[in-house]
Amino acid sequence: MELLDGNQCAAWGARLARVQYVPCYPITPQTEIIETIAQWKADGEFKGLFEQVDSEHSVLSAALGSAATGARTFTASSSQGLLLAHEIFPNISGTRLPMVYVNVSRAVSAPISLWCDHSDVLSVRDFGWIMLVCETNQEVLDSVIMSYKISEDKKIVLPVLVNMDGFVHSFTREQVVIPKQKMVDKFIPKQDLKIKLDVRNPKSMAVPVLHGYMYFRSQVHRAMLDSVSVIKKVHSDWYKLTGRKYDFFEGYKLSGAKEVIVMMGSYTTIAKNAVDQLRKKGRKVGLLRIRVLRPFNEILFKKMLKGVKHVGVVDQSIAPGLSGILFSEVRGMLPSVKVSNYIGGLGGKDVSDKEFIEIFDDLKKGKEVRKWLM
Amino acid sequence: MVNVKQLAKKKELITGGTFACTGCQAIYGLRLVGMALGKDTVIINAAGCMTLTATHPYTCYKTPWLFNAIENAASTATGVAKGFEAQGKKVNVVCYAGDGSTSEIGFGAVSGAAYRNDNIIYICYNNGNYANTGHQVSAETPEYARTLTSPIGKKNKFGNLLPRKSLAKLMAQNGAVYSATASTSYPHDFIEKLQKASKIKGFKFIDLLTPCEPGWLVKTNEMFKVGKMIVDSGMWPVYEIENKKVTINIKPAMTPVKDVLKMQGRYKHLNASMINYIQKKVKKEWETINSGKFWESNDY
Repeated sequence: MELLDGNQCAAWGARLARVQYVPCYPITPQTEIIETIAQWKADGEFKGLFEQVDSEHSVLSAALGSAATGARTFTASSSQGLLLAHEIFPNISGTRLPMVYVNVSRAVSAPISLWCDHSDVLSVRDFGWIMLVCETNQEVLDSVIMSYKISEDKKIVLPVLVNMDGFVHSFTREQVVIPKQKMVDKFIPKQDLKIKLDVRNPKSMAVPVLHGYMYFRSQVHRAMLDSVSVIKKVHSDWYKLTGRKYDFFEGYKLSGAKEVIVMMGSYTTIAKNAVDQLRKKGRKVGLLRIRVLRPFNEILFKKMLKGVKHVGVVDQSIAPGLSGILFSEVRGMLPSVKVSNYIGGLGGKDVSDKEFIEIFDDLKKGKEVRKWLM
Repeated sequence: MVNVKQLAKKKELITGGTFACTGCQAIYGLRLVGMALGKDTVIINAAGCMTLTATHPYTCYKTPWLFNAIENAASTATGVAKGFEAQGKKVNVVCYAGDGSTSEIGFGAVSGAAYRNDNIIYICYNNGNYANTGHQVSAETPEYARTLTSPIGKKNKFGNLLPRKSLAKLMAQNGAVYSATASTSYPHDFIEKLQKASKIKGFKFIDLLTPCEPGWLVKTNEMFKVGKMIVDSGMWPVYEIENKKVTINIKPAMTPVKDVLKMQGRYKHLNASMINYIQKKVKKEWETINSGKFWESNDY
């Protein structure tokens, strides 16, 4: 066990995956990831190429280029950096390239906030990336490694985004197990890309289409749906190796639960505390944490919430003029369940266990509500 | 010196029948790139006319070709070069991007790649306008040229009022180890520059003049001629810069600019005094260059 913060965990994930190229650009709260790799490079402990470029747009462009040559590629960013690189997100998935990008969630401007919410990461939700949203630092490290296995799978070949929360993960140390290099090498041997920049087998990549645009988009969707079985397998393989269990969703005390909170990210830990307190009092409450946001395993989601009377979706994001983003995603999947929406933790605002208990009390009353945890 | 006979025997890396316009000089420039660098070359393209030359399910390229977006050919190529380096592969990484992409929207990325000295040959095919979107003004449109966003009207009799950026010079100042201008009408010079660039490690930049038939409104059979006359008139100096040392590769005959302006519909509106203004400017620039003060010239 080592004491590592989330940023160091992401860096360790990349190091253990033996990434070959890391283009980067500093932004709070992500910077420590690239600083860590830079130091390893300076000490000769990191064998890949490392390069700070001129912007996040250039970071993702260079990542696309490097991935297109078949080199294992890693990078990370946050908030405004992710927004600047927005254009390239669908280019990478559309070109069908594998890579891993760690997002350290931070609210978007204006006004400037350095603290976490999910408005940055959810803005790339529809760009064809597999998205894993973590709750603990260990999960960040494990997810980066597992992501290469998912991303490079011949059936998938899509990029993966691993999300952690700024500050809560990035600068908070936890007890973490660093997997053995040998084990990781065996777990994720480098897969060769079928279509890449190869002078012996020249292809024109990412070109315009006259007809058939829909075909290519549908192929991305299809690969995403196919990835469900791959992710399942990767999760179970990782469990066999490490004993650490991951799934599309984490059900916390869901058995017999009537009122359930649905949410994702680091704040889940506080909500779990509230669940514990209420369960002790005999209340039938539980929690469902979304870990794999894309692909969204709708069947499993519905199955896990069977018998629940009232779901409260706690969103660390807002689609102004509509609702929280997760709420609008899952509400339609639960036609016979009451679904309420709570917007909280924007710009890193605390949500206390007391507030989560109030939410459960609210849910028990049985009336659908939409509230802000101001 | 490049031998014509040897070149003629070289395998071309572009097939016939592309989507380029008749008389297009940009696609001809790519043909020369293939002849000069051979098949161990990948081309990174920025959104522009050449993007359409590889349109699914067709492509005219026998070398790998990668498109990303308009403003990031340089940074994409950075990643490609590093990706190959990480795998121990030796490949010529060539950017082929238009002047709008290079001089405006992608300028930061190009400057960044030059500053980092990434191992790339960056070619700006310079037709002096955003041609693919239907000919709008760019930072490389010459003074007084008409484009669809610098049109001639009752209030504006001049067209574009801003002089163009001197890209090759700027890139040399941004850290390019080799920076040059060239013209498709002088293919030997261009090929020699490419071959020279491929032997230098680091960021190489070539600003290639590629006349544009529909943008410049030139007769198709005069496309090579117009490029040659622009160089000969002194309006497009052909030079190279290595470690701040400037070599003028083609000494222009200084033919009157009015002859070549007349060939182009985009200058149809010019009157005698406007032509005189352009002529005077060209003369002054060359006086500066010839007196050994290249870095003090404004437009080149």
